[in-house]
Parts: sequence; structure tokens; C-alpha cells
Amino acid sequence: MASIELHNVSKIYQSNQYSVRDVNLTIKDGEFIIFLGPSGCGKSTTLRMIAGLESITSGELRINGQNVNRVAPRDRNIAVVFQSYALYPHMTVAENMAFGLKMRGMPTGVIRQKIDETAALLGLDQLLHRKPAALSGGQRQRVALGRAIVREPQAFLLDEPLSNLDAQLRAEMRTELIKLHRRLGKTMIYVTHDQVEAMTMGDRICIMRDGYLVQSGKPLEVYANPVNIFVARFLSSPPINLLPCVVRAWANGVSLWLTEDCRIQVADYAQADYRRYDGQTVTLGIRPEDFHARQLDANWQPLPFKVTAVEALGAENIVTGTIDDVRFVVRLDRHTLPVPGDRITLYMDPDPIHLFDSQTGDVLARRVSPPLAS
Amino acid sequence: MLRKIALHFGLILACVVVVLPPLWALRTSLVPESLAYSTDIFPGWSWENYQGLITKNDFLTHYGNSLIVSLCSVAVAMPFAAATGYAFARFKTGGPAARFIMLATQMLPAVALVLPAFALLRAMGLTNSLVGLTLVYAALNLPFLTWILMSFFEGIPVDLEWAAMTDGASAWGAFRYIVLPVSLPGLAAAAVLGFILSWNEFLFALVLSGPQTATIPVALAALQTSNGVQIGKVSAGVVLAILPLIIASHFIQRYIVKGLTFGSVK
Repeated sequence: MASIELHNVSKIYQSNQYSVRDVNLTIKDGEFIIFLGPSGCGKSTTLRMIAGLESITSGELRINGQNVNRVAPRDRNIAVVFQSYALYPHMTVAENMAFGLKMRGMPTGVIRQKIDETAALLGLDQLLHRKPAALSGGQRQRVALGRAIVREPQAFLLDEPLSNLDAQLRAEMRTELIKLHRRLGKTMIYVTHDQVEAMTMGDRICIMRDGYLVQSGKPLEVYANPVNIFVARFLSSPPINLLPCVVRAWANGVSLWLTEDCRIQVADYAQADYRRYDGQTVTLGIRPEDFHARQLDANWQPLPFKVTAVEALGAENIVTGTIDDVRFVVRLDRHTLPVPGDRITLYMDPDPIHLFDSQTGDVLARRVSPPLAS
Repeated sequence: MLRKIALHFGLILACVVVVLPPLWALRTSLVPESLAYSTDIFPGWSWENYQGLITKNDFLTHYGNSLIVSLCSVAVAMPFAAATGYAFARFKTGGPAARFIMLATQMLPAVALVLPAFALLRAMGLTNSLVGLTLVYAALNLPFLTWILMSFFEGIPVDLEWAAMTDGASAWGAFRYIVLPVSLPGLAAAAVLGFILSWNEFLFALVLSGPQTATIPVALAALQTSNGVQIGKVSAGVVLAILPLIIASHFIQRYIVKGLTFGSVK
């Protein structure tokens, strides 16, 4: 069991380029943390620094309160599952799993017992004598997990372990990993750039960009309260609608003018906060899922929508269209399947809208969160 | 269709160009010396060239010299080449400059190196000895073997070593238990190529060896006398000299396939 703390941790490579910059994070014992971000954002480097595979340029890394900046990977008792699986090709599955235990001088009988237990847990019983080349992608992934579990480490670091699997297997393994975390109760740090994995697996997500830790929090909290356009965009598929608009306030409310004809009413709870931006041009962020085909709430605003394109995905429909010549992408339920050219009325939920500073991209602060996060 | 025929014709011609000289050597080694230049394809049959070469020209001694020098030089160079290649590949030791300097030594003409080598060996009393020749061949092989092994080590995913290190191995342990076994095909291929280089080397052997320590290329060159070239014996020597290379080439083909790492990643 392990708590992991990063204090101002930075990593600079030889070319004086920051890969990770002043990351501060405390991971509680038994927590499932997700590092989320695009390629090159520093999430894997952070993971490798925690594992001891990369040196820390500045800052402090503590595991269970002990500074481990200069502790070798083998002495940290942390297991890493790599994106490539990194199975030893010249060893059988059993030998792969036994390697870490042998390195720690464990007796042969104990090693065999632990391998049998772990193999049973992961359904690897029949594969113990095979070499990695004779395994499918899913089986290799399981072996990589087994090799990590069998050592009973104090924490697991998983570097995009599902990215090489097909969609169905990935969904299955996602569930398996969540179950595994519940069963083992160990600290897990999981690196991914997949939004679904991030939202469904972790207790907390940490979003990284250009080496910075941009935002961390519970998945739904971060989804509901993105700190900037980057986070809002990263946690939205299809992408969040980002549109320039002018804030106009009057005695009875605040509205956002996208054009002279197209305006959106700000939700009651946010009016007090947004009123101060009266007359300013800001960026409106509203997710495709906040538009609905039927009005289920009296506060939802009816908007005339002209359909220009439809992607029917079976379970839902991604519809592109315009509201008074302003382009929007909306996500509609599977029962609402318009065709291009249709004019329909959509109902927009004004609660989850976000306003961002047009220059910095930072969210314009609201003192009250939208209802989703409450 | 015409293109296919032309392509095959070209390939057959290329094969003939490659195969014909060794076939001619094999034929000439098996016919009496007096009939070597006969226009007949196979004018007669005789073992006399092989017998003469072995009994009168002490060819087995030279054969043994070549084997000892080639095998030992590779054995001496390989550990250094492996260590250096690994350092270049994984730790980027010395940066691009070190790599260039190492490669630059291969660009020097042999003639520029042979006299300094002779002076060094003479100072150490190692001229006319197999030990001296072995050391020189090891030094000549080192940059080449380092380069080959460096490329091979670069092809091994660093994740494998990282996995070993988080599994409890030291950096040396990761090299010993993971990198070396995975690199066996590369090590074998490099060793065979190094062996072939040493086996075929002529200039250094000519300058640094004596009558008793001469290797096959020098011994065969000695068959070119003032009375003419003893073509039958030369051909027999060439056939015997080719044999280890054929065996070595077979091993290269088998080992150079990097299939062993398949399945470890992705």
C-alpha cells in the first residue's frame, strides 16, 4: 500500500525542454488515479519518474512519506505495465511472471504457488508454458498484468495498457481492471489519452498539457467544471461547441449573443457571476449532449435548428446543423433521426454552459457549480 | 510477361556471375594440374592438388592458423564490442562524435594502419606470432562489430529493460538476463561476420605473420611462384577456404532473423 506525493516535480531533457513542469499532486493510498492528456503532454514521463525509470530534474517524490528521488526502481516495490507489454520474449509466461520473484530471491515453491494463484485469477492457467510470441494481444496484456500482480507491489503504474487492444477487448479489460483495483485495493496510476477510460475507471483524473498538471479532480467534477478550453475540449466527444459571443446583461437577466439574431439565455444560477462581463466578447462552450429533442425541463430553451449533416451511430445520432446560421454539433438520442435539410426545434439545457476568456482560454469563474456536479 | 522473362534472365545472369568462379575453382581443384587450362569442362579427375597442398605445402597448419586467429580475434573483440555498442545505443555515450570517430577508423585504408601495427607488434615482440595477429584482427574488427551490435541493441525496446528493472533487476541484471539473451541472434550474426572478415584478411597477415604463422590467404598467395601460378593447388586451397564461410553464411541466415523479439512488444 502506498501514498505517493509529487512536490514541484519537473523533468528537463538535454535540450533544455521541459517535459514535466512543477507538478504537485498527492495520491492517497489505494486511490485509482488517471493521468489524461494528449501525446507528449508529460503523463508517461511523470509515470516513469514515479517508477524510478527517469531521473527527477527538480522537485521531490515521496512514497509513504519517504523521499525516493534517488531510490532505484527495483527498491521502490512498484510494478509497471507498459503499453507495449514488454514481455520477455525468450521466457515462457510462467518464467515472465517468476522473473521478479526470482530477482527478490523467493524460494521456488513459493514462486510456483504465487504464479498458480495469479494465473487462476487472470485465466492464464493454460498459457503458462507458452512464449509471448504464441499469445494473442489480449493474452499478452493479461500476462503483463499477471507479472505485475504476482509481485504484490505497493502500487501499480499502468502506461496505456489497453491501447493496443481492439474496441471490444478494451471494454472488457476496462471492467476487469476496475474489478482488480477493487479486489487488490492497491494504489493505481493509469496513463491514457482515452476519455472513456478516464471517465469510467479512476477515482480522480489529472489532466496534463505541455508538461503542466492543468486540472485534477473527480471525473464528473472535472467534466462539469473544466478550468479552461483545453480541458473542456479534451473531455468532450464529439468536441464541445466553442463559439464567440457577447455578454449582454439587463435588469431581468443575462444573455449571450452569438449573432444579432441568435442569443442564449444564461441559467439563473450563473447570472450574478456573468453579469460583470456585460459587453465583453467571450467564448461560449456548450457540449453536444446538452441539446435535446424533447423538453423535459421548463428551463430548457427552445432553439430552431437546421440540420446539415447526420451521423447515425445506432445508439445515438451526432447531428450537425445551424441555429440562425451559427454552426452547432449536437448529440441526439437514437429515436431522433432527422435528415439533412430538416428544420427541428431543439431544447438547450443552459445549466452546463461555460464561458471562457477569449484571450487566455481560462474559464470565467462562477461561484456556483452547475447542478451536474452538485 | 516479356518484363518477367527479362527480369528472370537478368537474375540468372547475376547468379551465373556469382556462382561461376567458385564452380570453376572446384572443377580446377579436381583435375590434374596439367589439364587445368583445358577447354574441356571436366578433362580428368584427380585428388593430387588436395594431396599436394596438404602434404607438401603444410596447408593444414595455415588452415589451423586462420581458424585460431579468426575465432580468437572474434572472441576477444565481442565482449568489448557488445559493451561499447550497448553504451552507444542505450546511454548515447560520447554522443554522435564518439560514433563518428569509431566509424572513421573504418574509413582509413589498410595500408595506413599496417605499418604502425607492425611497429607496435615489433616493439612488443609479437610479430610473426598468432597472438599478435589475433590482437590486430580484434582491434580491426572492434569498430565494425560495435556498429552492428549498436544497431541491434537500438532495435531492442527499452521497455524490456525498464520492465526488468522494476521487476527487481539492477541495470547490469537487466543486461545480463534480458538484453543479452534477446540479442543472441545479433551477437551470433556479428560474430560470424567478424569471423569472415578475419578469415579473408590478407594485407595484415602478409606483413605481420611469418612462414609458420601465415594464414590461408597468405599461404595461397605463396603458390604464385617464379615458375608460375600453381593453379590446381590454388583452386584446391580456395575450395577448402570457402567451406567455413559456407557454414558461417548458413548460420548468419538462420540467426540474423530478428524473430526472437517478436511477441515481446505490441
